[in-house]
Amino acid sequence: MAVEVRIPTVFRKFTGDRSVIEVEPGTISQVIDQLDVQHPGLKEQLMTPQGELHRFVNIYVNDEDARYLEKLDTKVAEGDTVSLLPSVAGG
Amino acid sequence: MTGDALVIAMKLRDEMVDHCSQGRPNEACGLLATKDGEVVKVLKMANAAASPVRYALDPKEQFEAYKLLDQDGLELGGVFHSHTRTEAYPSPTDVRMATEDVPYVIVSLAREPAEVRAFRIVKSEWADPGGDILEVPVVVEG
Repeated sequence: MAVEVRIPTVFRKFTGDRSVIEVEPGTISQVIDQLDVQHPGLKEQLMTPQGELHRFVNIYVNDEDARYLEKLDTKVAEGDTVSLLPSVAGG
Repeated sequence: MTGDALVIAMKLRDEMVDHCSQGRPNEACGLLATKDGEVVKVLKMANAAASPVRYALDPKEQFEAYKLLDQDGLELGGVFHSHTRTEAYPSPTDVRMATEDVPYVIVSLAREPAEVRAFRIVKSEWADPGGDILEVPVVVEG
């Protein structure tokens, strides 16, 4: 396993409280699929039924926001870190 | 937090309130870093929404802040924001957009002195539009 995925507190109930999960390189879409294989139900939290990233979820690959790269098609290579961030907003 | 109280030193509470006051007429926002259940740092963030009725953390700034928390061995202990004219209580927007499983601290600037209250927004699913509002006591020390 060569890619580290950092899991924020809000999703840790799906990962057995693990804050870091390792997966194989691939696109972000493939990384999410791998997360779901290891921790069933996690993908449903991150994606809409239409197959898009949930609007309250931001994904960083190393220090880059995937929305400004290739979104779910962004390639994640060996040694990369993927960070999941829930958006923080209100009024 | 101790039990489910938000413990914060007076100096840090004042720092948080000052940041909110400085943000007027817009809402201000930030994060509270905790260690061993007590707030140890107030992370003053920019309001990317730049609005008197909305706040949003810039994802990049949020990302950098979370990295800092990790590096310094701190935890995310709360999210704070100001209500410039309304009470220190979660608005429907606050409830709808709440995502983090930490206390949401609201600083009301509607009257002097500013009022600080904290709440957990409890949802069945993390991104549900609705949720239960449970107040978290704010314990100010010093």
